Amino acid sequence: MADKIAIVTGGAGGIGRAVVTRLARAGFGIFVVDKNEKAGKETVELLREQDHVAEFYRVDLQYKTEVQDLFQTIYAKTKRIDALVNLAGGTLHKSPIQDFSLSDWREVINVNLKGTFLCCQAVLKPMKTRKEGIIINTSSNFGITGSGGRTAYAAAKAAIIAFTKSVAVEAAPFGVRANVIAPGLTATARVMTGHTETEWRKLGKQIPMGRAADPKDIAEAVNFLSSDESAYITGQLLHVNGGMVFT
Amino acid sequence: MKRLEQRIAIVTGAGQGIGRAIALGLAREGAGIVIADINEKSANKVKNEIEAAGGSALAIHADVSNENSVEAMVEKTLEAFRRVDILVNNAGIFPTSSVEEMSEADWDRVIGTNLIGAFLCARAVVPKFLKQGTGRIISFTSGRAFQGAKNGAHYAASKAGIIGFSKSLALELAPHGITVNVICPGITDTAQPRGHQTEEQIYAQAQRIPLGRIGQPEDLVGPAIFLASDAASFVTGQTILVNGGSIMW
Repeated sequence: MADKIAIVTGGAGGIGRAVVTRLARAGFGIFVVDKNEKAGKETVELLREQDHVAEFYRVDLQYKTEVQDLFQTIYAKTKRIDALVNLAGGTLHKSPIQDFSLSDWREVINVNLKGTFLCCQAVLKPMKTRKEGIIINTSSNFGITGSGGRTAYAAAKAAIIAFTKSVAVEAAPFGVRANVIAPGLTATARVMTGHTETEWRKLGKQIPMGRAADPKDIAEAVNFLSSDESAYITGQLLHVNGGMVFT
Repeated sequence: MKRLEQRIAIVTGAGQGIGRAIALGLAREGAGIVIADINEKSANKVKNEIEAAGGSALAIHADVSNENSVEAMVEKTLEAFRRVDILVNNAGIFPTSSVEEMSEADWDRVIGTNLIGAFLCARAVVPKFLKQGTGRIISFTSGRAFQGAKNGAHYAASKAGIIGFSKSLALELAPHGITVNVICPGITDTAQPRGHQTEEQIYAQAQRIPLGRIGQPEDLVGPAIFLASDAASFVTGQTILVNGGSIMW
């Protein structure tokens, strides 16, 4: 087992894979948590091929019992979790408000916001007892600007910011830090498949730095916030968006 | 592997406090450092510290509020190192006065050093950055920019101005791959707060800071290295608050 343990939810996704690779390189043993079993197993294989310690768990994070089981199992094995990185989430449903069904809206909120809450809740007590720990949650530029058709996603991502600040205040006296990363347009397969090549290039050109984020850009920010170099940073929002949105 | 090998950084106000810590920190990561300070003696001391640790440094007397002095600072940098990759706008002053009693001269001096100084330094390095197709500008603001400062309206205005200036410059320079960001420390254990607060007042603030302590200059080093390095090549126009959670923005 590695010296430090990181749990990365959504760790098999486009950004997730870059994050787990970067954290593994920084010395973390990685628990990849994802809904997608095939991608999760592939991700763990990739890490193991590079001699990193990694395990995969398939979990649907909107369900409390699944989250509880997950963390019980991990704590039983490792006794400690040093970093929790909540990347799991997504737009899921895009629709004008008048056509947005309540069940779809609720699902978006649950997958993005409730999943983040449940995972934070599961690690906070042990982290506070050990008097160390790092939580990194994921918002989005849409959490600041809003986005037509994405009322639920934007609401969830904005909520994650205020939620994380509240966690930061509660956890700080125990030496536990919580911060949020807000990626802008990021070049993952999931995002790119929605666009033709011409559209994608056009979107990139609208960003001040002239391109979408590479998942590695996000991974470097996660690595910074999970290292001692950010020891005095808590409750903050870090945008990685090429100048697309400032707050 | 050192993250800033082969790079040259100008750090203004590097003779003491946060600036000194940043200069030493960037040097540890392999950067050659220009220690620009209005106090030449303290600049030379930091130069000696960096050289003693095996780094490369140049001490320059510079008044960031003076256009000619800033131009000369950049010229001397290029003469010595042939390039400049990183500018850290750290020089600043914080005299105290109520708005009613604030003299125009005091106002001009604070805005001139803290805000116009950052503009002059950035303007002086940008042509070289554009030619190189790379560059990093990191400027220091303050929590006062968000919350105001009793008896420090000029300071709060200058520090809020840094943020607006940096976002605008980020937009101008983004197409060229040059990033512009801001670091916002909270109360930090340096000479500056001691100009207007007692030791007791300074340390008492730790009780109101979520992480339970005031900042140390070293706390700002990791964030500065991050922003100066390739790791943050897609981060621009942003303000990173390094304050133990005292203000969450």
